[in-house]
Amino acid sequence: MRKVLAMLLIGSVFCGMMAGCGSSERAGDEQSASGTKGTDTEESGSEEGSTGGETNLTFAWWGNQTRNEMTQGAIDLYVSENPGVTIDGQFAEFNDYWNKMATSSAGHTLPDIIQMDYGYIEQYANNDLLLDLTPYIEDGTLNVSDIDEKNLNVGKVGDGIYGICLTVSPPALTYNKTLLDENGITVKNNMSMEEFFDVCREVYEKTGYKTNISYGNDVYLTYLLRANDEVLYEKGKLGVKSPESLQKYFEIYELGLEEGWLLDPGVFAERTLGSMEQDAMVYGNSPETMSWCSFIWANQLSAIQNAAPEGMELDMVTYPSPDPEKCNFLKPSQLFCVTVDSKNSEEAVKFIDFLVNSQECNEILLCERGILTNTKMGEAIIPKLSDADKKAIEFTNNVIIPTSSQVNPAPPEGSSEVSSLIGKMIERGCYQEISAEDAAQEIFDQGNEIMAANADK
Amino acid sequence: MAKTKRTIGHSLLTKESSAGVLFTLPFTVGFLMFMIVPMGISLYYSFCEYNILSEPKFIGLDNFIKMFTDDAIYMTSLKVTFFFAFVSVPIRLVFALIVALILLRTTKVTGFYRAAYYLPSIIGGSVAVAILWKRMFAIDGVVNALLGKIGIETSFSWLGDKRTAIWVLILLSVWQFGSSMLIFLSALKQIPSNLYESARVDGAGKIAQFFKITLPLLTPTIFFNLVMQMINGFLAFTQSMIITQGKPLNSTLFYAVYVYQQSFEFYNTGYGAAMAWVMLALIGAVTGILFATKKFWVYEGGL
Amino acid sequence: MRKKKIAGRIIYHILVCGFGLLMIYPLIWMVMSSFKETSTIFTTAGSLIPEDFQLDNYANGWKGFAGISFGVFFRNSLFISVAATIGTAASSAIAAFGFARCRFRGRRILFMAMLVSMMLPAQVLMIPQYLWYQKLGWIGTYVPLIVPYFFAIQGFFVYLMTNFIEGIPRDLDEAAKIDGCSYWGIFVNIILPLMKPALVTGGIFSFMWRWDDFLSALLYVNKSSKYPVSLALKLFCDPGSSSDYGAMFAMATLSILPAVCIFIFFQKYLVEGISTSGLKG
Repeated sequence: MRKVLAMLLIGSVFCGMMAGCGSSERAGDEQSASGTKGTDTEESGSEEGSTGGETNLTFAWWGNQTRNEMTQGAIDLYVSENPGVTIDGQFAEFNDYWNKMATSSAGHTLPDIIQMDYGYIEQYANNDLLLDLTPYIEDGTLNVSDIDEKNLNVGKVGDGIYGICLTVSPPALTYNKTLLDENGITVKNNMSMEEFFDVCREVYEKTGYKTNISYGNDVYLTYLLRANDEVLYEKGKLGVKSPESLQKYFEIYELGLEEGWLLDPGVFAERTLGSMEQDAMVYGNSPETMSWCSFIWANQLSAIQNAAPEGMELDMVTYPSPDPEKCNFLKPSQLFCVTVDSKNSEEAVKFIDFLVNSQECNEILLCERGILTNTKMGEAIIPKLSDADKKAIEFTNNVIIPTSSQVNPAPPEGSSEVSSLIGKMIERGCYQEISAEDAAQEIFDQGNEIMAANADK
Repeated sequence: MAKTKRTIGHSLLTKESSAGVLFTLPFTVGFLMFMIVPMGISLYYSFCEYNILSEPKFIGLDNFIKMFTDDAIYMTSLKVTFFFAFVSVPIRLVFALIVALILLRTTKVTGFYRAAYYLPSIIGGSVAVAILWKRMFAIDGVVNALLGKIGIETSFSWLGDKRTAIWVLILLSVWQFGSSMLIFLSALKQIPSNLYESARVDGAGKIAQFFKITLPLLTPTIFFNLVMQMINGFLAFTQSMIITQGKPLNSTLFYAVYVYQQSFEFYNTGYGAAMAWVMLALIGAVTGILFATKKFWVYEGGL
Repeated sequence: MRKKKIAGRIIYHILVCGFGLLMIYPLIWMVMSSFKETSTIFTTAGSLIPEDFQLDNYANGWKGFAGISFGVFFRNSLFISVAATIGTAASSAIAAFGFARCRFRGRRILFMAMLVSMMLPAQVLMIPQYLWYQKLGWIGTYVPLIVPYFFAIQGFFVYLMTNFIEGIPRDLDEAAKIDGCSYWGIFVNIILPLMKPALVTGGIFSFMWRWDDFLSALLYVNKSSKYPVSLALKLFCDPGSSSDYGAMFAMATLSILPAVCIFIFFQKYLVEGISTSGLKG
């Protein structure tokens, strides 16, 4: 018995060691076992070898169960229509996804096609990780004629188009319609700031429900700054001329604290910020821990409506602002890019073309990622959509598009750090640890410093 | 041929020094192959400006200088981490030892008791724990409800207050004491029972037995757990990452979380590496001090 | 006297049970939540018992993602965890014996190296390790998830077992040495059988930690059908869109079962003290 155990021990260690030593060759085989025999074992991550007329592509995205299912459906459809092409789908949770992409980019093993966030495209393109798609658009491989010029340009970094924006979504102030209706309170599109504050006060007085103003993120600040033609993040600096405009934003929190209608910041410590299920509008047991509204994006309506308790009907209006025409915009919710690490870029571009232009494909994907930029496809899939999605599309088409301007340029490097700084300042403001004036000054100083430091990298 | 090989092998394994080298060979090779290179690369990064997406650029000591002169959040996270490690580790160990002593007694159901007390460690850092933990300490959560039942009506936000949030995390860490408990259990069982028998013959009571036999013989294990938990305490990550993300007001911003944020959220990966190496030096110092005290309280002699 | 003993025993069980219940309350909560309708998990978080007991979450969760069921993820996890655990236990035991029983040149330095290797956060080593494994041609395979563990790469286990071996009386080795036994013989015939509690403890930890580890799988596994459970569980949540907490709780409940079973099965070896098993052998 003892001997056997010992043999097992030593045997397993040796096996492991052998596997370790011999694995550089084996690894190559295992990788390519999926589709084709890769000839180069040294180039790792090269699952995409193309020999013998078979092409293997990798396609990575982030998302939940629904999206994974739909996207895989689209892949299956493409593969069945294009014999000789195989596509490996890789999906991960949002933060994991970006960690994986960053690490892969360090090793130059990025997948062929990646789903891109507007916040990252500038960094990835500037570091030469993405392929310029312009030649493919010019030679007709990628047909973008049904995408509006404005929406096509969001994929532009410098002179090249590095990402195709499939879906967009406008900012939308969603609100608890049931609550407001019961109490005879009305909200409308394009409210001025004062009108909005009046609603906050009225709701608080009549129901005890408080207001959550874009806690912990820079979305609403970015939005409001557009009214003074200020772009929050510019290359190497903040796009605000002086701390004053920042201060004005922080004064909203001060006002809310003073009058009592601002949601207590302690509530957010108990939540995962950004999670629809835990949003203070739909989650909470008493009015004092809940908000009557939420500053989110129109395409999230269906998710937050799903998370809402039974009997709570939600609706949306535009964010309140002094100048809706200047402030409103359509944010690219997701872009699709081909990476420089791709060995089959032509085939990868063809797949993106399929995502953009195939009606069958879009009938599978629907509006899950946002409102389609391809107007023809957008029309075609309407009958298949859920009520919440239809609402979001109507809102976009009827309210936002007539009065909106071009979205801010993609945020440059350093913006994520400043964004976190702004979140922390909002937190300190809500805890009354800092005045609006000081918070604005600090963001102005530190923010400019961070942006500058990132520019000369 | 085979025979000579065997004798050489045999003689190598009879000499203490060569046997030592041979036995530790798996570790030596593993360390050289899998640890040295990555550690070296990360040390190099710590002297670089590096954003992952492009090549690292050597900048000398700038990262280290920035850390101590121009980063208030860094100092906060350092303080938070030290507090967490020095408070949670002792509590956790004492707790683990007590439970191990209680569960030492073998009855028919001990197996299930052990499993029950070990379960919290099995579920570890899952999202479920995060959600539940937040629910329990919420303004309208279980804890406040219980307080209400004993007459203390409160709507205190345990996680929302910068004085109490860290304690919630400490409690979570104490709750997951399972691994230390298991190590204590196996060490307790290693103590020969004849020692207790002779002590009983000498008329020593339970308490005297504990202090005269159990505790001294357990000191090597206590030391081991202390060193390991200290290292883990300083590198604590999950509790803060999944529950508070440093909120409120950075009062629960663990060092490792800040390293992660700098490295993967702000893409200041060189700076993150530099912070990690400073932490390594700090943990190294603490561990060194612990080892230096070893001879004063850890029972070294065999049995 | 006897009455007192029985009373004491009852109090013991009540206390241990009561406190144990407190310990596993969160777990019960999770299991119960997995039987609730997804949309009611948060709204009824305060109550333990589901209003409407249902198994939909299990069906939904097991379905997995994009046609890959959770059965596949479980199989992957089992393979990785078992292989890595065998490697860890075997290599750590051998190395630990060297540290505990032999004096040799470089021992102190090696020991320090082992401690130091535990002092860097895993997140910092992520990219360097990735680049290094890429040089070795290991990306896209399970090799980085398994092979390093055959080299006692986790100092924790080496230290744990070293510590345990040091607690075994040396008289036993000395006697064997006089009989002409080599160090290998001592290890196999004397130490190994006595080490069972340490091997079991280490094995349980290692299995659990490998089972929970998602970071290395995230980096090194490139195909969704090769994902382990730990990685798959995270896919139920999507910040900014809908998350299926019900399915996640259901699969999380299933995912702790292997570790629980292993624990319950092996824990009896933990109690095998030196006095009962060792000396006679």
